[in-house]
Parts: sequence; C-alpha cells; structure tokens
Amino acid sequence: MSDDKELYKGYREPCLAIMKRFGITVWSEVRAHTSRGQFEGLVLPRSETSDADHLVLKLISGYNMGIRYDTIESLEKTGYREAHYKIPEKAFPTDPSKPRVKLLGTGGTIASRLDYRTGAVIPAFSPGELYGSVPELADICNLDTDKLFGVFSENMGPEQYLTLAENVGAAIAKGYDGVVIGHGTDTMHHTAAALSFMVQNPPVPVIMVGSQRSSDRPSSDAAQNLLSATWAAAHGPIAEVMVCMFGPTSDRYNLLHRGTRVRKMHSSYRSTFRTLGDIPLAMVECGKVEPLKKDYAPRRDDRNVTIQAFFEERVTLLYYYPNMHPDLLESMIDLGYKGIIIAGTGLGHVNRKIYPALEHAKRAGVQVYMTLQTLWGFVQMHVYETGREILELGVVPLANMLPEVGYIKLGWALGVHPNDPEAAKQLMMTSVAGEMTSREPHDGYLIFQGGIPEVKDFLERVWQ
Amino acid sequence: MSNTSADPRFATDFNPRTDPPLDFTDKSLGEMTADDYRALGFMCGLEVHQQILTRGKLFCRCPAGRRAHELDAEVLRHMRPTLSELGEYDGTALMEFKTKKEIVYLLERESVCTYEIDDTPPFEIDEEAVKTSIEVASLFNLNLVSELHVMRKQYLDGSIPTGFQRTAMIGLSGSIPFRVPELGVDRELRIRQLSLEEDSCREVSDVGHRITFWTDRLGTPLTEAVTEPELLTPLEVFAGAHLVARTAQITGKVRRGPGAARQDTNVSVAGGRRTEIKGVQHHSALPLLVHVEAFRQLNLLRVKAELKHRGVPSEMLQLPVKGLPWELSPLVADVGDALRGVDFGPIRDALETGQTVACVRLPTFAGLLAHTTQPGVTFAREFAERVRVISCLTARPFMIHSDVKDYGISSTKWRQLRQRLHANKWDALMVVWGPTADVATAAREICNRAQDALAGVPAETRQAFVDGTTGFERILPGADRMYPDTDTPPLRIPNQWVADIQSDLPERPWNRLLRYEALGLSPALARSLEQASWSFLFDGLGLHEGALARRVAFALERCLPYLRRSGVDPWLPAAMRVRPLIEAVENQRVRVEALEACLCALVSEPDVQSDKILARFMIKKDEPAKLEVLADQIGERLVEIGAKGEDVALRWAMGQVMPHMLGRMSPAVVEGKLKEVLAARSHP
Repeated sequence: MSDDKELYKGYREPCLAIMKRFGITVWSEVRAHTSRGQFEGLVLPRSETSDADHLVLKLISGYNMGIRYDTIESLEKTGYREAHYKIPEKAFPTDPSKPRVKLLGTGGTIASRLDYRTGAVIPAFSPGELYGSVPELADICNLDTDKLFGVFSENMGPEQYLTLAENVGAAIAKGYDGVVIGHGTDTMHHTAAALSFMVQNPPVPVIMVGSQRSSDRPSSDAAQNLLSATWAAAHGPIAEVMVCMFGPTSDRYNLLHRGTRVRKMHSSYRSTFRTLGDIPLAMVECGKVEPLKKDYAPRRDDRNVTIQAFFEERVTLLYYYPNMHPDLLESMIDLGYKGIIIAGTGLGHVNRKIYPALEHAKRAGVQVYMTLQTLWGFVQMHVYETGREILELGVVPLANMLPEVGYIKLGWALGVHPNDPEAAKQLMMTSVAGEMTSREPHDGYLIFQGGIPEVKDFLERVWQ
Repeated sequence: MSNTSADPRFATDFNPRTDPPLDFTDKSLGEMTADDYRALGFMCGLEVHQQILTRGKLFCRCPAGRRAHELDAEVLRHMRPTLSELGEYDGTALMEFKTKKEIVYLLERESVCTYEIDDTPPFEIDEEAVKTSIEVASLFNLNLVSELHVMRKQYLDGSIPTGFQRTAMIGLSGSIPFRVPELGVDRELRIRQLSLEEDSCREVSDVGHRITFWTDRLGTPLTEAVTEPELLTPLEVFAGAHLVARTAQITGKVRRGPGAARQDTNVSVAGGRRTEIKGVQHHSALPLLVHVEAFRQLNLLRVKAELKHRGVPSEMLQLPVKGLPWELSPLVADVGDALRGVDFGPIRDALETGQTVACVRLPTFAGLLAHTTQPGVTFAREFAERVRVISCLTARPFMIHSDVKDYGISSTKWRQLRQRLHANKWDALMVVWGPTADVATAAREICNRAQDALAGVPAETRQAFVDGTTGFERILPGADRMYPDTDTPPLRIPNQWVADIQSDLPERPWNRLLRYEALGLSPALARSLEQASWSFLFDGLGLHEGALARRVAFALERCLPYLRRSGVDPWLPAAMRVRPLIEAVENQRVRVEALEACLCALVSEPDVQSDKILARFMIKKDEPAKLEVLADQIGERLVEIGAKGEDVALRWAMGQVMPHMLGRMSPAVVEGKLKEVLAARSHP
C-alpha cells in the first residue's frame, strides 16, 4: 500500500486504474494517445488538493499540462526518469575575526529552493544549504543553525514560544553575538511579543525575520531580509527583541521594529510590518544599522539575561462589535478562561448589554483588560461616561498596548504568577518591553492617503 | 556557459547540418535565391506574440490595453538568480546578476495594482482570455490540453517584477496550410505549440546599472504561437509570420495597433546554432534581419575556423571568476600608468577621474576583430556589446582594439602595451576603461566572448535594429527556467467549452482564400480581400456570381482605402446597408458602372439613408433623351474631328459625354449612340 503511494504519488481513481492498466507510474516518460491528440512527457506526482481526474505531464519544453482520464485511449511508456532534489551544500566558511550568529528555525522558509518539476518548496536551512543559496552570509558572520520545529507560522503557539525563549537564552549563554529567528510572517508579531516578555534585557540583538515572497522567486525579499537581519544581529548596536523586514516595497532598506510595537498590516505587501504608535528602532541598509530612536537598549558585553518562559493558555482576545451579546463573555467565563483582553471601540468602549457579564467576570476572578481596535492611540476611559462605567466594572485599561500584544502578555503574566492574580495584574500594568509607552510622537501615526496631491508628490520624489 | 553544448536539452538549438559553407560568397538579400539559402543551411522558426482583446489583464482586474499617461510612483527592485533544477545557476540568470542592475518600475494608478508589482498574489485567470486562446489553438489544429497548468518562466532582465512570466500551455503539435504561389511554396507549416501568457513591461531606458520600465502593458494576456524551424528563406519567414498572425486575427478577438503583436525569430545556418531575434514589431523588417543574421553566423563560423587553424585552446582564455583579473592573470594588465598623458580624450578623462584602464590580450586573435560580421559591423562589436550589457559601461567609447589603426592611441603606445602583455604579432589587444569593478567584469566578459568564438555561434537573444543588423541582448536562457506556479490551481478545460468554441470557429484564412478564388476572384484579389478589414462586409453581401463579386471586391478595395487616405472616418457600413445596392445592380435598376460611386457614397455619407443614396444612382427614364441632347450638342464639332479619323473623333466625343452619363449608362451604349450620330451626320 505504501509502495503504491510512492509509485502513484497523489493519484486516485479514476486515474489510478488507467495508470495501472498501462503500467505507468509517477516519473514514467509516456506517449499518451488521447481523443485530443497525442502528447509526450514525464508523469509528475499529482497534488492531493487537485481533482482526481487528470494525469499531469511535464513536456520537453518545461510546461506542465493535465490530461483528463476519459480522453486517454492508451499510454505508452517510453522511459523512466526520477530525480531527487537536494540543495547544494557548501561548507560555510569560518572566519575567527567575524562575529558568531545563531540562527534558529521555526519552519518558515527564509531560504528555500524549488523542486522544478513538482513545484514543491524545499527549505534551505543548514549553514551549508544557506551558504549555497545566500553566499553573502559568509561575509557577515560565522553562522550556526538549529532547526527547532517545522511548523507554519499560524501553528506557532505557547509551546513553541517557550522552547524558543529557552533556546535564545542558551545561545546568549554560549556567547553568540546575536540571534536570528526565521519565522513565517503571519504570526511573527505574536512571537516577537512573546519573546520580548520571555527574554528580558538580552545583551545581544534577538531578531526575527521572514519573507513575504518565497526565496524561489527572483524578486524575493528573503535574501535582503536575511542579510539585513544577520548583519543587525552580528554587528548592530541594539540589543532588543526585534523584527527585521522590508521598509518600503522597493529593495532599498529594512527596518528594525521593537517586538512589542510591530504588527503585520498587509496580507501580501513586502513592507507589511509596521511599528504602530511610535517610529521604528532603526534602518538597516547595506551593512549599516542607522538607529532612528535614541532610547534603545544598547548591546552589552555581559551574558546577563532574564528568561521567563511561562505561559497560561486560558486567556483570550475578544474583538468587540456593536450589539455584542453578554453570552459570549459568559461562555468564556464558564469555560474557565482566566483572562480576557477586549479590543474595544474608540477610546476603549463596549456596549451596556455586556455589563452584567463583565460584573460576572469580576466576581469570578477573571481578569479583563481593555485595548483598542483603532490600534493607534491610548485607551482613555475617563472621557465618556461609558468608559467610567466600564472601569467601575473592573476592566483594566492597557494604555496603547496593541491587542495581540495584550493577549500574549496576559498569557505570559498569568504564567509567571499562576497563583497570584494581583501580581499578574501589576505586571500587566507595568511596561516591560516597550509595549506601553508614556507618549506617542506626532509621527507615530502615519497612514498616508493615496490620491492627495502632496502624497502623490511624495511618492514620486521619495518613495521607491 | 559554452559547456551547455554537451547538454542534451540544448541539442535542438543546433542546426542539424554541421558543415558551414565557409566559401559561400556573401550576398545581399536581393541577390540570394532559395537555392542559396539551402546551401547556407538556413532555417528559421517563429514565435508570434499576439495580445488578446480582453477588458482586463490575465491575472488581475486592471484594465488591459491602457497606455499610461501620468507617472504616479516608482518602485525599485533587484533580481536574484534562483538555483536551477540541477542546483546550478542558469546562464542567463548568472549574467543578469553579474550586471547587478537596479530595476525601476514606473507606475500609473489607473493601469496597475499591487499584483503587477508583485505585492499581491495572482487572482483567477481571465476566462475570456483562456477561451480566446483555445479558439486560436483550434484554428491552428493543435491538440488541446484538458487541464491548464500555470507555469513560471524566469526572466531576470527585470521586464517582469516577479522575475518570472506566468504562462500556460494551451495546445501542441498542429499545422496549417502554407501556400505562397509566388514563392513556389505549397506545404504545411507545423505549429509546435500555443501558450497563453502575461505580457511584460515596456522598457524605457537601460543606462549603466539602471534599467527603467513602464508597467502599464504588464499582465496583458497574449498568446505565443511557436512554429517549427521550417521557414527556409527570408521571404518564407515573412509569409509565415503573416499567416500565423492572420490566423489569430481572424478571431476578431486580438489586439491591433503598435506593440500588440511582436515576433521573435529563431535563426541558424549550417554549423551554427539558434539565435533569437526578439521583439520585431513589423513583418516587413523580418526578411532583412534573418538574412543578416544568417551571414553573421556564417562569418562567426569563419572566425571559428580560422581560430581553430591558428590553434588557440579555450583554457588559455580562462580568467579567474573572482578578484581583479589584472592581478591574477597574464592575459590582463592594468595599463593606467602606461597610458597616462595619452592624447586620446576618453582614456585621458578616465584616468583623470580615477577610473581603471585595462588591456586584455587575446592570443592569436590578431586581424580577426576587424572581420566583418554584419553590414558595416566588425567582429569587435560582438565584444563591445557583451561588455556594454554585462559590465554596464556607459560612457562611449569605452574600448578600443589593436585591429584598428589610427584611432585612440598611437602605434608607439600599442607597441608598449604589446611588450607589457608579452603579446606577439598574432595576438590582438583590447583596451577597456571605466569604474574598476565594471572593468574587471568587462575583462572577464571579453575572455568569455573570445572563448565563445572558438565554439562558433553563441546562444544569444539579440535585439533588432532598424538597419537590419542586430545587437547582443542576453545569453539565451536554458530549459531550466520553467517551474510550476504554486499560486494558481490547475484549470479544467471542460469538453463543453471546447465543443462550444469549435462549433463557432471563424472561417480559417486559407479556406476563405479558396472560397474567394472559387467565387471567381483572381488569386491576388482574393488574397487582398482576405486580409482586408472589409472582408466581413463582403461576405455579408452574399454574392454568388463571379463577375459581380469581382466588381464588388474591386470597388471595396478602391473605395475604402481611398476614403481613409482622404481623411474620411473609416466607418465600415453594415452589410444590410450595402445589400440593397447589390440587389439593385442584380435587378438592373442600378448599372454596374455606378457600383463604385454608390458604394463610396454609402460609406462617406453615413448619416444619409441608403435608399436616398441609391435613388441618386438609379437608372432614369430620361437618360436616352439626355444622351440625345448631349450628342446633338457636340454633333457639329464631332463631324469636324471625324475628318481626322473615326477613332480620334469617338475618343474625343466619349470624353465630352461620359462625365455626364457616368454610372447612368454603359459606355458601350454611349459609344454606339455617338457612332450613330457621326455616321448620320457625315453621310447625310
């Protein structure tokens, strides 16, 4: 059975029967006689998610095409050509005069190559593989890699956060000059927040990096991201947990974002990561880190770092909408959630309908915090009566903490103080890693509107 | 790159004949016969690109066919080669990376979205475009795929921001009748394949390390039809291109106008290999281009033969891949010191601005650099073009060589350089100057091109110039550059689609031609009607009878282009507007002589009802009486002239009367009447 699986990779009935009838397996070279004419090519594996009706041929020209089973009159086997693809490994050169960087892998593909026939992406990860695909890395540092897990970004969770934090701690203890973490981009900001709380005051840069266009594409942002992140980790002056991704959509420079203020803001743009409510920490361009903020934590020679790898999973994030019914909140309380972050409207509001549920939460000892759907700005619950009423109900405002960061921090705080709710609450209200700032600079909120003359002018002259 | 010759995947790139006719005399296009091209082993295939007339682009919902007017923003990108199937970098990819180009895309909000600049994955493929390409593939009698797979074809020249073109195979292995009586051609032209792909950017400029593109055209659906390399003379290439283009046009669903159709040609001669001349917009430019290319290949093969005779091994021309060549190889020297104070502006300026001047020794190449490869072009240009494209040197001139005397530097200086590089009289020297890194690349590229010379014809894509010559554009990409597009699912082509499309196919051009000929049109008239925009109007008139059909075809051909030239809007009337005229002629209510004038009026006066126009041309009862009056008026003078001979008199009289009777009465009737008058008056 498993043999069959290998021989007929991805093919199901009715194609499977036809293949067997004519003695054809995957990687057979065939001449197919069909009601739509004759075709010659190599039989490729079929994707499990595609329909069961077609046989996929790779033509000599390199094109792929599908032949529907009911057009097939006969298949003639003319040869067999199987190949296994491997990324060329070249020994990563070591240079004692260069800094040492540890690259931790979580499963996102920062570097990869393609199986040219099936289109499958093969991740490049070992130093040798990375050197094979991004040889410039050797000019920056000595690189060691550890592949911790192989999960997509959306499947990252507390278990992975803890392992990651411990490994960062270990790398620091071992004397690495910087740590780079390869990560899928979808939840990179969640992981960045988690590491910001779990790895406090690192002496060296801890930099998360990913790519919006996979590295099998010539236009990929992966190489520039990887090179910038590695440079900032090896040589940069900022010792914080950061995200290093494209600044503009053009291949010009990268930005270093503080791990608690960064958010993915576009589903597909290269410049999707933005610092919210503040300016980014620094620009990285051609082997140079140019700090934009002055109040960053500088690189140190010591190896002191506080690792607090804890997480309480029974916390949640509730995105409020008008006319929300209290039963939603009630069910969370009933299900035993220990803390709830609300993303409220405006300055931090919810409707009266759910007041009884908030009261219930308070009685049940479920901590409730307020953050903002507006993403920018501060929770200000004293301005309107609604706000004051909600405060009365025990909801704690979290200043300008981003909702996702609030969720991660609450899980962490309750994890650090599992039996001391008050201590956890105090921790929530204290800024640990820049997640709440005392002030918002005037240019911390910039969302340009296209079409306006001055923006058009700016785009033409400056924005590339 | 030259080692690809051993790779079986490139075998089809070589001309099947390996014996170049080196002693064949170079001739101009006009002097060559079909036998001459046969002697050369000339063969050519075409890739005809034709934009499809859809409202939107192929993979996003931007409007197609819009030309940008205003610059809204720019995006800057780089291309990075990806590893190939064999874990190596593709030749083209490597070359383009060597050039380290900054690629700038110009954007206009109305014509592009985030898809074109590779910031959004593709949307669903445009179904209309797929159906039109199935229609075109059916006209070519191709075997249709039952499931369409979108592939990525790598292009690192920047012409597509993703670095690849999305393209899908529609059909394979077809053929169409190829009949050109004046060339003695009557056979099948095999069509290898038809694919549906997205168009690339329009290049604006390519200067040094910066190449700029407009993105408006990007993503427009187009079909690429590839013929087998079976066109055996330049005129066959012309006729073939025309036939392939015409076949797509007959659907009425393809774009017309500048840039909407472009062809690439793949040319080789015996002993040579395929070179691709890209982006030729006009068919009329093809014959000269492929002719010149044939002789370029022959001349490169002559250079190869001479080099073989002189016996320089390829390894001798090898430079180290990294580092500064003048520090690592005896073939190259930094000659800045030797040339300081030289009386040649470009080199002097280069040295004054701190640039590098290098000299490359090409063993046994003496005299060959001046060998003519194209009209007015020497072999040295092959080097200069590679250097310009790959090392991005911009200031002109940027190189000189020792085969040209009295240009650049003095013979004394050349002697000094020869000593410096230990060059003997059989060696050629090339001096190149510019920024240090670019000159290092240039020196390496000079040696690469010299190595290619030993192999004969390099696999290149070349750009066409207006004078019929071509210039190096890039190394021909390998087969490895195609891989599946993981962003788009396969698309099922249902039988119903194919059945619907094929039951409603337009008449194929060659069948239409046969039909016109069968109707009684001469082959020439049939062909021009077949290609005319008014052929559908003609068909709509339902003509059966040969003489009238000929008259109508001829009248249309005279009338419509004439009106167009004289500035009347080329408005083509519907068949039902013209049909009453045909009926009137058939029923002898309008004389056949009035056909053309009436047709012209129907076209040029679109606001006047057709029956009103027709009324003007109807045969009128008073016409015989009018003729009587006219004949009577000139009667006396007619007799006077009649004394000089009857013919002269009649010719004069016809000239007097016919303008008044044009279209009203047949010339034969008028002439009969005049004869009658002359006879009656001369012999009362």
